Parts: sequence; C-alpha cells; structure tokens
Amino acid sequence: MLSSIRPKNRVIYAYLLFPVALYVFSVFLPLLTAGYYSLFEWKGGPSKTFIGLENYLGLLNDSLFWESFSHNIYLVIACIIGQVGIAFIFVMMLSSNLVKLKGIHRTFGFFPSTVSAVSIGFIWTMVYDYRRGILNWFLELIGKGDAAKVWLNEPTLVMLLISIPLIWQFIGYYMVILLSATTSIDKEIIESSQIDGANAFQRAIHIVLPLIKNTLLVCITLCVAGNMKAFDHIYVMTKGGPGTSSMVMALYGYTVSFNQQNMGYGSAISIGIFVISLLVIGGAQLLVKTLTREKGEKA
Amino acid sequence: MDNNMKKKSGLSLVTRLSNGILSLFTNITLLIFSLSCIFPLIWMFYSSLKEKREFNADIMSLPKSPSFSNYIAILTNKDYRIFESMFNSLRTTVITVTLIVVLGFIVGYILARIKFRGNALLNIMFLMGLLIPIHSLLVPIYVVFNNTGLGNQWFTLIIPYVAFGLPIAIFLVQGFVKAIPIAMEEAAAIDGSSFTRTLFGIIMPICKPILSTVAIVQVFSTWNEFSFALVLMKDRRLWTVPLAMTQFTGQFSSDYTKIMAAMLITMLPVIVFYFIFSKQIIRGMVAGAVKG
Repeated sequence: MLSSIRPKNRVIYAYLLFPVALYVFSVFLPLLTAGYYSLFEWKGGPSKTFIGLENYLGLLNDSLFWESFSHNIYLVIACIIGQVGIAFIFVMMLSSNLVKLKGIHRTFGFFPSTVSAVSIGFIWTMVYDYRRGILNWFLELIGKGDAAKVWLNEPTLVMLLISIPLIWQFIGYYMVILLSATTSIDKEIIESSQIDGANAFQRAIHIVLPLIKNTLLVCITLCVAGNMKAFDHIYVMTKGGPGTSSMVMALYGYTVSFNQQNMGYGSAISIGIFVISLLVIGGAQLLVKTLTREKGEKA
Repeated sequence: MDNNMKKKSGLSLVTRLSNGILSLFTNITLLIFSLSCIFPLIWMFYSSLKEKREFNADIMSLPKSPSFSNYIAILTNKDYRIFESMFNSLRTTVITVTLIVVLGFIVGYILARIKFRGNALLNIMFLMGLLIPIHSLLVPIYVVFNNTGLGNQWFTLIIPYVAFGLPIAIFLVQGFVKAIPIAMEEAAAIDGSSFTRTLFGIIMPICKPILSTVAIVQVFSTWNEFSFALVLMKDRRLWTVPLAMTQFTGQFSSDYTKIMAAMLITMLPVIVFYFIFSKQIIRGMVAGAVKG
C-alpha cells in the first residue's frame, strides 16, 4: 500500500481497540481465570483454599468425566456416519436425473438446522413421550403397543435416542453443503464416465467422492467440533439422565459448577474440556488430512 | 448426445423397469425425509388449535373445532413473558449482528491491508478464535462476568456473542478484501478521500456480499443461542426466547398444546424470515461454513 494512503498508527489502533478488547475479555480472560480458580477449592463463596493441582488429579480419576467424554465421542461418530453419510447418499440421489422437486428438498431439508436446539429438543421429547408421544402412537398403530416405553428413561437406549434428533436436524445442512460441491464438478467428467459404463454407485465412489473430498473434510471437521460442544439438546431432553447415562462434558461442567456449586472443580473441568476438545478436533483434522492424501496418491 | 438417445430407446424392458423402481425408491426416500423436516411444524400448528383434553385423547387427529384459545391464553397472560422474551432476543440479535458485521469488517480490512506492529500477533489471535472450543468457556465466562458485575444486564449477552462471532467474520472479510485491487484505495486517496471515508464509503459497499453472508450466519446462531444465555442471565425479565421456552416447557409440562402454541409464536419470525429468503440464507450459510 502506498505510504501516502496508509493511515497513521494512531488511527489504526483506535479502530482496533474496541474489538480486540472485547475479544480478549470474552475469550482469553475467562480461560486465564479458569486456570487460576482451578487451583483452588472454591464453592463459589468468598473463601477459597489453594490446593495446587489436586483438582486436576481428581479430574484424571473422575470416571464420570471420562464417561461424559465417551458420550461426546459416541455422538461424534454417530453424527459423522449419520449426518455426513446420509447427506452424501441423499446428494447422490439428488444429482441423479431421477429425482423431482429438488428445490423443495433443499428448502425443507435445510429448515431444521435453522431452528433452535431448544425447539428441536422439545419436539423430540414429544416424539419419545410415553402417553402422548409419536413413537408410541406409531407402535400402537402397527399393533405393537406393548413395546411402548418411557423412551428417554432407558439408560441403554438414551444415547441412541438423543443422537437421532441431532443427526436429523443437520442432514439437510450437510446435504446442501455437499450438493454445492457436487454441482461444481464438471458435467463432462460424469457424462464420460456414464458412457464408459460406470453405474451410479461406481460414479459416487470413484468419481464424485475424490472430487469433493475437501468439502467432505470440512463437513467432518464441523461435525466433530459441533458434537464436542453438545449441550443444548441434551439439557432440554434429559439433563444428562437417567442417572448419568446421557451426560456430556459441557453439561457435566455445568452441573458441577452450578448445581453442586463446586466452582473450583468446575473450572478445572472447563480447562479439561478445553484441552480435550482441542486435541480431538485437531487430531481429527490431521487424521482426515493424512487419510485423504494417501487415497489421492493411490488413485 | 445423439448416441445417448439411441441407447435409451433401445433399453430392454428389464432395465427400464429397474430404473423405474430405482426412481420410485429415491423419490420416496427423499420425500419422506423432506416431509419429516416440515411435519413437526404442521403437527404443532394444528395440535395447538386443539384443547388439551382433545390432544391427550388422540395426538394425531385434526382438531374437531379449531380454536385459538391456547394462543389467547398465552398472549394475554403477562406471566409468560412471550413478547418480552421476543423483544430481548430481537434486541440482542440486531445489536450483535450489526456489531459483528461492522467490527469484523474493520478488523478484517485492517489485518488484510495494513502493515503495522502487532498485525501478525492479532492475526494469530483471531485465528485461534476459530479453533478454541467455545463451550469450554461456559463456566469461566460466568465467573468473569459475575466478578465484574457485567452479568444480568440487558447488554450482557452481546459481549460474548460479538466476541465469538468476530473470528469467522474477520477471516471471511480478510479473504474477500485481499481479492479487491488496491488501485481502488489509491484512486480514492488521490481524490482526497480520508482513510475513514474510503473504508466505509468505498470498500464496505464492495464487501456487501461477504458481509451479508456473515450477517445471515450470525442472525441464526444469535437468535438460537442457549447455553451462554442460560449461564449469564438470571433475571427472568431479560431472558431470550430459548431460555423462556425451557421455562415454559417446565411450567406446562403436562399442557402440550399450550407449549406448542408458544413455540410457534416464538418461532414465527425465524420461519417467515427463512421461507422468504431461503435461497439467500442457504447460500450464505454454505459459504460461511465452507470458507470457514
């Protein structure tokens, strides 16, 4: 940039002061504060005692925290398979010539992802409701009324039942993202493969998949990050229950800090969530990157 | 193409039949999915026109004598705070999105175009914002806001919402500004335009496409945000829509038709906004996701 049109430093810093201050205050200051309080035994009141790394040692041995973490991982895997996988299949269907009403599918399918998690959670609570739930209504309709249950009270089923709304809500979102990637593929590539006799399945795996792998990578990363922070849906649907069968990390940190008033340990959990999420999200990115690179070299 | 046509007419009955079945199958699968996405709305709407007793007797049937009594009950009782929460959400969303767009634009532009001491540092800092798992800040942010007395104010939520939205906005604007030829600013400077005038009068209009992408993404995430509002807002009069809804579902846990009516009222602005601008919204959300 020409030096004549470069504004004075004073002007630049004046423009930057407010946004940077706001950002540091809301992102870095809380992290530092959490790091500080995590070294104390502190129940939220005026008195606190320094206990060093004891909270962190407790966290390492806290089976509930690791159970919550495993539930996050469960959601990540379920949603990668469910959301990105189903979305990919739908995109293959949509880009064939067989499907009508494409615009409707896009508009309707995308809609749930714009609805708040609270509403989605409530709708699905009604699906699973015992006396007035859609699921039990349907079971009765097909003559299997005796299979009706208080669905969200089943410890072994609850994670599956919670992942269904999560998956359903965002299929359309990933579908639209993948669709925009596939429509940008050169039509001639697809046509020539058709002439060469590749069937729809072969085209999907060998031609479309490699060509949209970067977008797929983006989707999987979004999926991992999105499910590490799972909180809203579960808070509305089960609050982590029955017992702790659907507890996830963010909800555990919330429960310890606000329901048990254990702010010191809650801060240590927050730092734990921070480190673990960063590792998982970063690790997933690395893994997918190396995997796609290998595939690309082989082809 | 000619060749293709010939091929098609020459297809055997078996292939045509299997194509037909395949086409039927794909169409039905997608239709079921699309309907499942919209059905909750329809079901909630006609159920909200039923009396509680009628709904409990049969959850799927259409209302025999539709009435707006649930809506009237909710809207006339001040204790439910429907309009209050909608006003709170609207105020928070409008101010938050405006600030993210304006501040994101300023910072993004400066970081993309101007060399100054600290540029690299700020760049890394905001890039880190894209990686930091925001949800780990849930408890810490409560502690900070509580200690500084910033919690429980009408503007409380705007602070973290703007901060969390800034990194992606800055990132998108940076990418966009780098593609604008620098001759634009040079010409403006020669014509005697000040930095501020060039910034807002010339560059900002050029950036309109990317700024509207930023705005669209943030409108939805701000309007729907729940967890930070839950932690930071204790005063019921300041609750946003998602918070008020959880309160509502607790209060009327047995009165589903009332809850449905309340849900629909508070969802209405988003639904209308979505179905009018669905094309732009979908395009904007996809651009925001992929480039981020």
